[in-house]
Amino acid sequence: MTFDRNARAALADGQLRDALRQATTLFGERRRAALATAPDWEGARDRARAIKDETLLHLDRYLEEFSANAERAGARVHWARDAAEACEVIGRIAEQRGARTVVKSKSMASEEIHLNAALTARGIEPVETDLGEYIVQLAGETPSHIVVPAIHKTKRQIAALFAERLGIEPSDDVATLTAVARQALRRRFAEADLGVSGVNFAVAETGTILILENEGNARLTTSLPRTHVALMGIEKVIPRFADLEVFLQLLPRSGTGQALTAYQSLLTGAKRRPEDEGPAELHIVLLDNGRSRLLASPVTRQTLACIRCGACLNACPVYRQIGGHAYGSVYPGPIGAVLTPQLFGLGRSPELPYASSLCGACRDVCPVKIDIPALLLHLRAEVVATRAGKQRVLERLAFSGYAAVMARPRLFEWVVRATRMLKVVPPLGAWTKGRDLRPLAPRSFRDQWRAGLSGKAP
Amino acid sequence: MRRSDDARSQMLHAIRENLAKSASSDAAQHAPPCGRSVPPTPNPLDMVARFTEQLAAVGAQWTVVRGATEAAHALARILTSAGARRVVGSDAPLVQRLVSGLGDGFVRESLDGLSRDGLFACDAGVTTAQWGIAETGTLVLESARENNRLLSLVPPIHVALLSTSCICDSLGDALARVSRASHAITLITGPSRTSDIELTLVVGVHGPQAVHVLLLEEEP
Repeated sequence: MTFDRNARAALADGQLRDALRQATTLFGERRRAALATAPDWEGARDRARAIKDETLLHLDRYLEEFSANAERAGARVHWARDAAEACEVIGRIAEQRGARTVVKSKSMASEEIHLNAALTARGIEPVETDLGEYIVQLAGETPSHIVVPAIHKTKRQIAALFAERLGIEPSDDVATLTAVARQALRRRFAEADLGVSGVNFAVAETGTILILENEGNARLTTSLPRTHVALMGIEKVIPRFADLEVFLQLLPRSGTGQALTAYQSLLTGAKRRPEDEGPAELHIVLLDNGRSRLLASPVTRQTLACIRCGACLNACPVYRQIGGHAYGSVYPGPIGAVLTPQLFGLGRSPELPYASSLCGACRDVCPVKIDIPALLLHLRAEVVATRAGKQRVLERLAFSGYAAVMARPRLFEWVVRATRMLKVVPPLGAWTKGRDLRPLAPRSFRDQWRAGLSGKAP
Repeated sequence: MRRSDDARSQMLHAIRENLAKSASSDAAQHAPPCGRSVPPTPNPLDMVARFTEQLAAVGAQWTVVRGATEAAHALARILTSAGARRVVGSDAPLVQRLVSGLGDGFVRESLDGLSRDGLFACDAGVTTAQWGIAETGTLVLESARENNRLLSLVPPIHVALLSTSCICDSLGDALARVSRASHAITLITGPSRTSDIELTLVVGVHGPQAVHVLLLEEEP
């Protein structure tokens, strides 16, 4: 059980838990404050979800429309069925242009397909340029939070890392460390032949892609190199340009608690005239990689409405304790617990649907109202259905026994009395491994009730 | 080419096939409402006040001026107090006029033929902005109007000229008015920022540290 092992390791890491508590609490507070500035939050959530539902229901049509309009504007659209195909397309584009260095802005999809490893294998150096991602890459690690990838590292650790890798004097000053990264990355931007970005929204009506950020590294990535490659999951498409409004109201407020992030780049095709600024070529890679399978039922389909804000991570009592690494996937937290098994197979991560207390906090904060608890239950049912014979029979037996007792008051009373007398609790196995069972009360509720509870203080 | 065509038709086929599996349960779907929200009643009188209040909230600065002479003086003052010497302006006529009027205390670079290193060495970039958004303190820059992408991004100081008559009420208004002929539309809300190290806010990570909006009032 990888998740169990990872979670245990995370729980033992006091520094990680402090950092997680700070980050998730801060983002939760900022989000709540930001909701107050939205003109009609609940209305916006409903509209956004309705737009996503409609788009997904006709995804073939909207993708064709997007592709045609993007190409009309001068972009070249590539279709990639899986991770290997997407890496092949991007690797080939880079190779054909003689690229040695590729600058990257934050893209979950590129992590999903392990693009960095694929580029490195071709002798091309990928450079992450988002400050958090840059730190994580220098350290040879993986992100632990969607919005703050290096939240698991202290400034002292980062200072030591920069001193070792960039040859600077160690400094505990965050502004100094940031300035060092700016200088180091400016050189990489200057020499890069190709920029790879993600996509937050793709507009079918105009062929426009939209990228949100705060640092400016995505703007540099998409405007300095001669070639820009944008990688997007097929679910990123929305019908109309005007639809951007509602999604721009929801995403920054849910993610970082900002009314708007510092920058939105709306890019439509490549530059038109030689004297224009920006890349001469724009390539857009449409990635399936298991997504189209989720269209087959309304329950699983809603997973594709996700706009990757990270609000469910910050709200989740499980994530808040163990952080992103424990999920063993690019996509952590509640949305990761449903996305990872659906995209990459339940066999690879059968524990993830259980990495939740089903409290529903994720559903409450989700800007597009994805019913994550319902998805978790759906996936748990699938896990049970694939279980091997003996375990399955025992579980069935246990639950039918439980059901029989609960449905018969007399039997129930008898079992409770026996339990009380023998001071044994039926085996709860894994459940009590990580939790303490409260001691039984001296008298049961039913006994007290019969003795007459009314009016008496306990 | 063939490979990609195969991938395209197979992906579209997979999408249609999977959608068909659930078609019956989705019969009641309707076309979605538009993502445009109900517009609040705009109040043109305090549009400038709302815009500048939001600029302050996101850490941007502003100066309101009337007429070209006042604008030129204000620009020189802004650049001097920010410690900028090497200045580059966009190809917009108004920017050209103002930058060429800057005194001898400045080194005026021309975007034409400016090398990447030359651009990286500039202290300040001056551009116009096509729209402002009062709701969020946002500048909207269209690439079809001028070369503004790098000048508003690479130098540590960005000065943007914006006519007060171009301040929109909301994001939705701005999206409705923006020229879609631009291959790049950039929305800028305050200076570049990050909280990636221990959640400590640092301003000016990859983009400008300072954004100054020069608001041009219409001459009466």
